[in-house]
Amino acid sequence: MTAATTEVVEPSQDTRKAGRFVYVTGVVLLCAWVLVPLYFLLINTLSSPETVNSYPKSFIPEFDLGSLTFFAGFDGILTALKNSVIVAAMTMVMSIVIGAPAGYALSRFEFRGKELFRLLILLTRAFPLPLLALPLAVMFIRTGIDDTVFGLALVHTTLALPFAVLITFSLFSGIPIELEEAAWTLGCNRLTAFQKVILPLVLPGITASAIFAFVISWNEVFAAAVLTIENRTLTAFLLQNLDTSPLHLKFAGGFILVVPALIFIFAVRKYLFAMWGIANR
Amino acid sequence: MTLLSKVIGAASGIALSCTAISAQAEVLFWSTQAKPVEEAQAMREQVLSGAGDVDYQPNDGGPWITRLNAELSAGSGSIGVLGALHGDFSAMNPDDLVNLDDLGLGAASDTFNNLAKLGTDNTLYVPWMQASYIMAANKKALEHLPEGADINTLTYDQLIAWATNVKEATGEAKFGFPAGPKGLKHRFFQGYLYPSYTNGVVRTFASDKAVTAWEKMKELWAVTNPGSTNFSFLQEQLLNEDVWIAFDHTSRLAAAFNERPDDFVAFPAPAGPEGRGFMPVIAGVGIPRTAPDMEASKALIAHMLKPETQIATLRATNFFPVVDVELPGDLPPSVQAAGNAVAIMSASPDANPGLLPAGLGDKGGDFNRVFVDTFERIILAGQPIEAVLEDQKKTLMRIMEETGAPCWAPDAPSEGACPVE
Repeated sequence: MTAATTEVVEPSQDTRKAGRFVYVTGVVLLCAWVLVPLYFLLINTLSSPETVNSYPKSFIPEFDLGSLTFFAGFDGILTALKNSVIVAAMTMVMSIVIGAPAGYALSRFEFRGKELFRLLILLTRAFPLPLLALPLAVMFIRTGIDDTVFGLALVHTTLALPFAVLITFSLFSGIPIELEEAAWTLGCNRLTAFQKVILPLVLPGITASAIFAFVISWNEVFAAAVLTIENRTLTAFLLQNLDTSPLHLKFAGGFILVVPALIFIFAVRKYLFAMWGIANR
Repeated sequence: MTLLSKVIGAASGIALSCTAISAQAEVLFWSTQAKPVEEAQAMREQVLSGAGDVDYQPNDGGPWITRLNAELSAGSGSIGVLGALHGDFSAMNPDDLVNLDDLGLGAASDTFNNLAKLGTDNTLYVPWMQASYIMAANKKALEHLPEGADINTLTYDQLIAWATNVKEATGEAKFGFPAGPKGLKHRFFQGYLYPSYTNGVVRTFASDKAVTAWEKMKELWAVTNPGSTNFSFLQEQLLNEDVWIAFDHTSRLAAAFNERPDDFVAFPAPAGPEGRGFMPVIAGVGIPRTAPDMEASKALIAHMLKPETQIATLRATNFFPVVDVELPGDLPPSVQAAGNAVAIMSASPDANPGLLPAGLGDKGGDFNRVFVDTFERIILAGQPIEAVLEDQKKTLMRIMEETGAPCWAPDAPSEGACPVE
């Protein structure tokens, strides 16, 4: 090793160090951005009302289960949780079943009005739900799907569909058509080529748009509050009552609303990571 | 392919089974009141436990009215009984509410019973419970009371002096006012400040006396916690001691008294040159014309008006009975404190009770907006008082003329629409 080369290496080690520092700080900051609010939510959920209302805040939870016990005894909360999960799951399935073929068609076929179609899909998000909820509710009551999780899932699917279509559209566009053509020459038809070649490649992306659909449905309040009565979802059941509740119950209620969604995202995270190229299988 | 078909099969299976489950035997109680989770729980477990099968569902105003309108225009529905404030009912079309004359129920107060007719000849809702706005203070603030002041006969000048003393002693402005997005500040102007200073609300909106009232409000705001524009439930700020002296709705102060009964006192709203203005809050129960089981709905309303239900409601929601009942001695601290303050307020020699705005129909929100805008322009934006009042007066006049609403107390009665003088 000559003097000349070491001189070249040293500054690059410095920049690498600095780069590493920026990288680590960035990662820590991003994690803190997500984790610190969740941690405070947890602490306040596990605190007595007096501690929640006092300052400064402690960083160690005192494991007072009063607020959570209150919700454990809250009439109807389990049914609402079950409904929320069912609606979110149905929204997820329906938005993928309808959205993925639309995304495939947009990326593979040329047809008249394609650009207009893409715009129209986005339009379903252009109208605020409080505006749509009244005519929807009237129609639902008349057709008899009022107050069913299926009816609500239909509305949530409409909300999630633009994301499903656009995400899958860019996924399919990222896969060269040559792959499919190769499969056709080897004896596949359109369907089997899709199933054996394309589907495994796009599965992570489809998971991502499924998560999107799940979260959209999970967080939606207004349509759920208007369109369901006996079969309320957790957000409709709880969220609109929380803003006027005492602080310690707000925290506990918020915690209950957040945890199931977190568990779900954790459960499907390996498909997500696979999409970003970090294999975790 | 198999996976896909399985998924589709499962989804349609779930869908079908869910559509199939729709058994309905209970009465749906669709309410805007008793919304906080603890109150909703108490309504279900204590108030409605003896009323048969009742599904109590408290909602935000938006979903409440949207669902109701949807059922009314679809011509069939599941809502059995409506529970809401007088203002919510008065915004409805009277034809959509069932005539409740044959129940023969009503409040002890004829004023309330007349309000419940919504300008028609029939009872369209039955008064259910009442509340009011009062003051509450941390006991630490009491030593700073100006000389000669008694909290039970406080004037606005003394309140300003008191809050100034507290600010000088602690270095922080500790008067709290519900000026947050969900705060009920408009009621303070309509039922407290204006009646106390001008002996009116609509007629005197832009009078010289109103200018004085807003000048006092400016003085008060100078010693008010600037965070008040975020405060909507003063019980929170009383408990965390950001605020020592507060004005709010009795049920929005309740948690402070219930959690630390020995630390707080409740007392009447202050008095101005025209007396001690104050205003009731009335909630009622009514039946929409689309109710599925009219008999069950009427039975539920009758249950809500029973003396023992009224006391259970008081415990659950901190709203007081509207019928004559003997209150038991073991009520929660918040109820005792608020009950005392309201009693002293209405019995005080200078009492100047006002009424809720009536006859405004769906313009109730616009009417409130006039007062909120005036507050924001004069107090928050610092615009000149006379100019703002002249400007807002036009909006107020338009609302009154469009609705033709006659004057209500403390304004002198009018023939036809209440004039803005």
